[in-house]
Amino acid sequence: MSEEKKVPFLQLVFDDFILLLFLGVAVYAVSYLIWGLIEIAWTPPIPEEIKQALLGR
Amino acid sequence: MALLPPKEGWFQKKVAKDEKIWMALAFVVSVFLFFWMIIWHVYAKQNPSFVTYRTTPEEFYQLTQAFIEKYKVGEENGIPVVKPPPGSDVFLLARQFRWEPVLVLKKGEEYRFHISSLDVLHGFSLQPVNMNFMVYPKYDYVLTFRPTSAGEFYIVCNEFCGIGHHMMIGKIIVEE
Amino acid sequence: MAVATHGGEHFFRTCDVTGFKVDTRAEKIAKVNAVMAVVSFLIAVIAALLLVLTRWQMIHLLPVDWYYRVLTLHGLDALVFWIIFFELAALVFASTAFLNTRMSSPFVGWVGTVLAIVGFLLVNYMILTGNADVLMTSYAPLKAHPGFYLGMILFAVGALLIVSTFFANLMIWRRENPGQSLPLFVYGLMAAAIIAVITIVSGAIIYIPTFLWSLGIIKDIDPAVYKLVWWGLGHPSQQINVSAHVAVWYLLAFLTVGGQSINEKISRFAFILYIVAINVASAHHLLVDPAVSPVWKVWNTSYVMYLAVFASMIHAFAVPSAIEVAQRKRGYTKGLFEWLKRAPWGNPAFSGLMLSMIIFGFIGGITGVVNGMEQTNIIAHNTLSVPGHFKGAVVGGTTLAFMSVTYYLIPLLFRKKIAFYGLAKYVPWIFGIGVAILAVSFYILGAFGIPRRHWDITFSGGPFTFTYNPVTDFFWALFAIGGVLAVIGALLWIIQVVVSVFFGQPFRGPQDLQIPIAEPVEMDEEHKGFAAPGTFVLVLIFIVAFVIFVALNYGWLSVMWEVR
Repeated sequence: MSEEKKVPFLQLVFDDFILLLFLGVAVYAVSYLIWGLIEIAWTPPIPEEIKQALLGR
Repeated sequence: MALLPPKEGWFQKKVAKDEKIWMALAFVVSVFLFFWMIIWHVYAKQNPSFVTYRTTPEEFYQLTQAFIEKYKVGEENGIPVVKPPPGSDVFLLARQFRWEPVLVLKKGEEYRFHISSLDVLHGFSLQPVNMNFMVYPKYDYVLTFRPTSAGEFYIVCNEFCGIGHHMMIGKIIVEE
Repeated sequence: MAVATHGGEHFFRTCDVTGFKVDTRAEKIAKVNAVMAVVSFLIAVIAALLLVLTRWQMIHLLPVDWYYRVLTLHGLDALVFWIIFFELAALVFASTAFLNTRMSSPFVGWVGTVLAIVGFLLVNYMILTGNADVLMTSYAPLKAHPGFYLGMILFAVGALLIVSTFFANLMIWRRENPGQSLPLFVYGLMAAAIIAVITIVSGAIIYIPTFLWSLGIIKDIDPAVYKLVWWGLGHPSQQINVSAHVAVWYLLAFLTVGGQSINEKISRFAFILYIVAINVASAHHLLVDPAVSPVWKVWNTSYVMYLAVFASMIHAFAVPSAIEVAQRKRGYTKGLFEWLKRAPWGNPAFSGLMLSMIIFGFIGGITGVVNGMEQTNIIAHNTLSVPGHFKGAVVGGTTLAFMSVTYYLIPLLFRKKIAFYGLAKYVPWIFGIGVAILAVSFYILGAFGIPRRHWDITFSGGPFTFTYNPVTDFFWALFAIGGVLAVIGALLWIIQVVVSVFFGQPFRGPQDLQIPIAEPVEMDEEHKGFAAPGTFVLVLIFIVAFVIFVALNYGWLSVMWEVR
């Protein structure tokens, strides 16, 4: 099937555990942690009109 | 084999027909489940909300007290009973180890619940309909409920909040 | 076969059964971690019995403070210490013995082991002395004694050191074997180790500020940030298990019937999907929480479009098909299921493997997806459905797989004969059936809305009372039966392991082997038509059950109050 001994690029990716470690940490850090922390940080305060309706100020 | 490096050419080996069919099927189901959650947000009536406000225990306590004063109709077991008008903002306060106030709602009407805690995390577990949400201090979780059944409902705390956790139970009355 | 040449040959012994060269320095580290795993498991099992007998309110054994104390103890010893110590042992042993290579740094390995043990002791001491009645999750602003957080930090650092020696061992192996691919079992453990890095670092990120907060140095811990980051420890720690026990499944399929993955590329691809996508499922625990938006929730809770569920379903075909193909090669070709009927069911490792796969898939897996979907989480969150799910996944799946493979570790790692070997063939059944009953009754009780982590569901002392559907009484009785059975199974296993390891007869060579190791079966280069028709039917049954269960839960959700 294959005359040349060249290892397919994707097989190199499969075998490269350091690259996989990096990928795993990166996806988790960006998708879960950083995005989540940004959303928490961006939580707005209770709108004034809701407070005024109750506290009458 | 599981204990020795794979044979040369393992990467080129063709996938068996049944494994291929199974993978295609599994993939379709997986992607479908993902889009199902989005479809449910668009077309169905039970979804976690998009709205959270930042607050402080002091502010939220003050708002709840004002809310209770405004709509109070009585008292039950030392807890104020409150009947807010349909469509209004409703404040529900969790603290070690009670919920206040008791709410009187009307079936089929919408209420904008604001739920927060004075101290630690609590769990809002509405029974017997079995709907469960988390309650945080410092965050006002806004959930717009429309009760679709009438009767007496209870709010069980289902996040461990301390030694009296099992005593923490509140009440919602839904009138026809 | 390449042979480790650096570091001196005198560290090695050659295994007389498998022919592997074993670095005895790594072996000792692995042994100590394995023993710590069993110690943690014993504490967890005793705690489990007390908890079952408390939650079943016919007995209501423990007083309220001890209930939460023992629950904290059970959670941490079962879900953190037992499985992580076991995995550390596996990482150290597999990355040396199975790669014919040496331990990169025994010193770092020992420092890690000692730190982990000190952390384990400190945490257990703090809990038992009543200084950490905060449950496993210890959600801030609930506060424990600083020693509790310190213990967790020490354990995390120790574990991280051992994981780093694993990667260092792999580097040595790669340098000595350029261009080679890892054996599939080690590959699965590599995936587990990567997930472990994420888990442990998240743990450090959250426990260090919490520790400072408990000392009064930091004023405040934000509850939303705590919960977000803590679950970066809490959930991926269980994903280490998934990856590790799937690796153990492949190993057991090989040891018990000589089966091998029919396509290594596909099996490895599934492990890569785990590495990339499984960790974000920490979002399962924030689905009905304030602060994070539904967009974030749907994306993360679905493991990035259910890639990890896809991966598990790939393994669900790959492991049984490995068994089926090997059995068919042996001549068990009649019909769809002769291969299964004529399998070595008397081998505890094989029956354990099958039960582990079935319970993990049908109970742990399916309920996990339903609990973890954004909307159906509304009817499952913090009810008994949640422990119902992870009893299926971690106890039925991981623990049973680890128990099964231990029957091979006793002779091959500890060099002891298995004590009471005649008992072994019953252990997976007693434990597996017990766990299955326990998990299913948990799940059903949860569907009735009964909360988890609750001392008294009659709400004695509260301003109101509420009575759950009386049908639940039946499932509570079932729950108690399942729980007690599982505890009996676990204790039998612990007795076997302890007696074998500490008081057992020495294992002198292949003639002392009680548990059979199957001859490997040569694999075909090409497949003609269906490779594993029986497995194909089994996975179709699985997917039908899966889709029906999802549909039922969404149907039930649709009759709840409206909420948006």
